[in-house]
Amino acid sequence: MTASTAAAPTQTSPRRGKIRRALTADWAARITFYVAVLVGWQLLAWQVARMPAPWETLDFLFRELTGGSQGGVVTGVFWDHFLVTVQRFSIGLVVGFVIGVILGIGIGTFRFVKSLLNDIMLVFLALPAVIWAFLTVMWFGLGWEAPVYTVILASFPFVAVNVAQGVRAVSPELHDMSDAFRIPRQRRLRHLMLPAISGYLFTGLRFAVIIGWNAVLLAEWFGSTNGVGWRARFWYDAARYRGFLGWVIVFIIFIFLLDGFVMRPLQRRAFRWRRDRDGGGDGDGTELTIDNVVVMGV
Amino acid sequence: MIPAATESTVPRSAASHDWRRSAGLVIGWVGFLALWAFTSTVILDEFTLPGPAKVAAAMWEIVIEGRFADDFAASISKTFIGFGLGASIGAPVGYAMGRSRYWKAFFHDGVVGAGSIPGITYAVLALVVFGTGYLGPVIAVGLISMPFIALSVAEGVEGVDPNLVRMATAFRRSDSQISRHVMLPSIMPFVFAGVRLAFAIAWKVEALTEVFGSSNGVGFQIRFAFQSFSITNVLAWTLLFIIFMLVIERGLAVIERRIFKWRTWEQTA
Repeated sequence: MTASTAAAPTQTSPRRGKIRRALTADWAARITFYVAVLVGWQLLAWQVARMPAPWETLDFLFRELTGGSQGGVVTGVFWDHFLVTVQRFSIGLVVGFVIGVILGIGIGTFRFVKSLLNDIMLVFLALPAVIWAFLTVMWFGLGWEAPVYTVILASFPFVAVNVAQGVRAVSPELHDMSDAFRIPRQRRLRHLMLPAISGYLFTGLRFAVIIGWNAVLLAEWFGSTNGVGWRARFWYDAARYRGFLGWVIVFIIFIFLLDGFVMRPLQRRAFRWRRDRDGGGDGDGTELTIDNVVVMGV
Repeated sequence: MIPAATESTVPRSAASHDWRRSAGLVIGWVGFLALWAFTSTVILDEFTLPGPAKVAAAMWEIVIEGRFADDFAASISKTFIGFGLGASIGAPVGYAMGRSRYWKAFFHDGVVGAGSIPGITYAVLALVVFGTGYLGPVIAVGLISMPFIALSVAEGVEGVDPNLVRMATAFRRSDSQISRHVMLPSIMPFVFAGVRLAFAIAWKVEALTEVFGSSNGVGFQIRFAFQSFSITNVLAWTLLFIIFMLVIERGLAVIERRIFKWRTWEQTA
């Protein structure tokens, strides 16, 4: 990253305008941001004794990936823990998503179901994931159950709320028109219902992914004997903060990649039919507004 | 995002509608409590899942003994200080993002990322850097609320109608008059929406940070209940937490509606 910022001015012709333009381009601004974060981290590491430096953390992560020993502990177990967690996360996500979709269709279709479940959903949305982690650990003990159930319980309300919104967004006028023109049920589902709902469906899924990831980590931190969250806690309890921080970076990178390269493009694709209505990228559900960015399942 | 838009859309049979809605609400709650009581007594047992009555008794005890007031006061003071810190940094950042393309690109990944980073990250990092004192939760709250405030301020600044500004300049209004009467009124609704959302998130992160390391506050009490294996107390503290959160949320919504009453014409148009 540092190399490319340094290279940018020399590649272009020495004219100051061009250099200036290259340095203020969007991609250069983003790279500068990451460099600033790294510098900030290094400064923090100098100030706070317990905070490991960037290179120490990367060195640890490399060893956790390739093997060796760290303070007498055998490392090189990255994939074991990572895959266990991803497995729990996926199972919980699928079940939570299905429950959320069923509830969401119910809430969105029937007014009575909506009034029945509205407040209860609000309480479920407000429940921090750590509460589910505590309760499931007390109910099921240490094992695979607590993380999986925590993911299900933390993620389904967010899916339900979004799907309900999508069902309500299906235009009643278009429904009436389809009735008038005797459009068969199948075509109606394919061309009317599905496009209207799919965007909200993917938004719900995206929320579930982000919230579920936090939930699985919390449940593993407090009640598991393996997995990413447990491994981070293991190094934390051993006061090896570079190991702990290395795993925290794994938490972040995993969700960044999943959100940036899978979930957001999917969401954008599902909302792309909206583009021509609102014009020029607006309203496709992914622009930088607080409604679209704020997810934060804590 | 801005409420009060839905209220004007129900001209037909509002009375029967209201009646059915409140009936559903009551049945929903009664059904939920009944299901909870049934599960705790018949399917499971009172220890695994304490019934609503037992949890309510524990909540009452917490409030009566004054622990509720003490720990909520501690949590709230941390939340407010952290929130103020986050807002005082986030607002200028948001202003820069709204005004300049460069700063928007610069902060883009940070602001987008802040919403997807697991909350556990903030909690444990605050613990490592600041230990178990007062400062950890404060800084965690500041870090989490900053991007949301920035984003809402940026949205508001971008939403200012340039024609209005041009007109004000044409009529030779001073800069301070423009910012006071043109900029501020159109930025404020966005800021308020952002504040409400950021506060809900900040409050949860504050409790989470206390769960990981603190010596007082709601999160600490929940952690204590967990470690003493008291499911009743975990549920009691959690419900108090949620009630408190929803009351604050509703209160902010009421204030918001009152402040932005003048804006309703814009909603109906």
